[in-house]
Amino acid sequence: MIRQLNWRRYGLVAVTLPVVALVFLAAALAPVIAPYDPFELDVLVMLQGPGENHLLGTDELGRDILSRVIHASRVSIVVGLVAVAIGATGGVLIGVLAAHFGGAVDSVLMRFMEIVFCFPAILLAVILMANLGTSVLNAMLAIGIIFIPGFARLTRAVAQTVQRQPFLEAAICLGVGPLRLVTREILPNVIGPVLVEAAVAFSYAVLLESALSFLGLGAQPPEPSWGNMINTGRGFIDQAPWISLAPGAALFITVFSFNLLGDGLRDVLDPKLHD
Amino acid sequence: MLALVFWRLASFIPTLIVASAILFVAVNVVPGSAALSALGIHATPQALKRFEHQHGLDRPLAVQYVEWAGKALQGDFGTSFQNAVPVGPEVRKRIPVTLQLAGMAFVVAIVLAIPLGVVAGFRHQTGTDGVVTTLATLFGSTPNFWLATLLIWFFSLKMGWLPTGGYIPFGEDPAGNLERMLLPCIALGVVSSGLLIRIMRTAVIEVMSSNFIETARSKGVGDLRLVSFHVLRNALIPFFTVSAVEFGFLVGSVVIIEDVFRIPGIGSLVLVGIINRDYPVLLAAAMTVTVIVLIVNLIVDLAAQVIDPRQVRTGHGS
Repeated sequence: MIRQLNWRRYGLVAVTLPVVALVFLAAALAPVIAPYDPFELDVLVMLQGPGENHLLGTDELGRDILSRVIHASRVSIVVGLVAVAIGATGGVLIGVLAAHFGGAVDSVLMRFMEIVFCFPAILLAVILMANLGTSVLNAMLAIGIIFIPGFARLTRAVAQTVQRQPFLEAAICLGVGPLRLVTREILPNVIGPVLVEAAVAFSYAVLLESALSFLGLGAQPPEPSWGNMINTGRGFIDQAPWISLAPGAALFITVFSFNLLGDGLRDVLDPKLHD
Repeated sequence: MLALVFWRLASFIPTLIVASAILFVAVNVVPGSAALSALGIHATPQALKRFEHQHGLDRPLAVQYVEWAGKALQGDFGTSFQNAVPVGPEVRKRIPVTLQLAGMAFVVAIVLAIPLGVVAGFRHQTGTDGVVTTLATLFGSTPNFWLATLLIWFFSLKMGWLPTGGYIPFGEDPAGNLERMLLPCIALGVVSSGLLIRIMRTAVIEVMSSNFIETARSKGVGDLRLVSFHVLRNALIPFFTVSAVEFGFLVGSVVIIEDVFRIPGIGSLVLVGIINRDYPVLLAAAMTVTVIVLIVNLIVDLAAQVIDPRQVRTGHGS
């Protein structure tokens, strides 16, 4: 009985964590495991279907798709990590401040956050990218900013719950200062929910980055990214569907497994939800 | 009740002001880039100065914003940098296109979400629930532009059943319009249903735990009647309130989908504005999309309070 329960609780993480690890590994070891140079042109093997020499085929310039898909994972992972870091840092800071000060500070901050939250994310990202200039660095920044309201709201909600707990009152009675109160009492309680949100945000960041690249506003060719590969493949979809299929599948698997990982983390960190 | 409605309407104004200000700043975040992109990198400093002066770009941003907002309220979005054509009429012409696309896509999402969400919620904690929840995650994880590409590849190019894109107004040729709208709506709707299924599931679970369900059950009400009479009616209200957020995401995604299917809506106008660095066009298009999202949120808020006063929404649930 207990065994079964544990499997229920940890199952999703156990299944998705290896996939996620594999994506990270591919990104980290890209130059080692990619069979070809992702930039190497070979006009003799243009638009070749998946086969012995090129497992996932070649694109319109004879570049190896598999190698490009592997290398492109780097852009996605880095953008995802940095954007989530920006969003989480900014959001947690604002959320803690709002919860701590309450009153006018709280309402102004959260009202502002709510308005930003209302914006269609992709629209805001597209506009920011258009003006900051199309580069991977700016993509991280644009996507990171979009995540701030979500993390802020989450953090504020959790921090407010914590502030009502008796142990916090006890800490205040003991004369614990505000900074220590935040770092020792509030933040440790915030980390769990923020982690769950981070996994989901990461998958969304990867999705947004590829959407930007797809529109030509993210990673610039010849640098491979899943988004710009799918876009290039669109022009050859009739004769060489693998050009779009392969990066799309990689993107989809990454996003899907991160979302499932988020669900799994929720099961692990908040077992109440399962009862 | 009336006071509440009034309060909601009143709080819409500052929201609109802040939202438009954010957009204005986002568009003008890099000073001087408008002139540079309109005239090209070889423009002389004098020409750039003249252009900026002509379009009032050399004034403080706050002044520019107030002037732009004042005119925008009267439907005047200025003229395009690119071809000096007034932007307002162009935007108005495109609004119905985007609304039709977003509306139909939302219907696709709802048609998928309600039955699946009800099944998952009703069979909470069973294998069926697990399958549906995973399916919801699967739908939500699909990149809509990739799905769109695959749909075109299969249904248009391989099977030849549907056109690859384009747009015909419904009034001119209803069949041709629907034929072209079908694939974009599926691409948008299926992805959006991911979140909606979860929202419906949660709403059903909530209702299922109510006392009146227990009462109905003990009176011998069958499953089918229970779902259709008691559960569905009560779950739909929170479902629609929360799903308004997803409608916002959906309208945003229109930017990409309109590009893929070459649909001349507001979304593709945003991209036109970006590619041409045509700031009046970009601002007007982006503002229109944002206002659509805000108004939908407002209507849902108000409707929810009128239908069910218990639903006082404090934030946008997720």
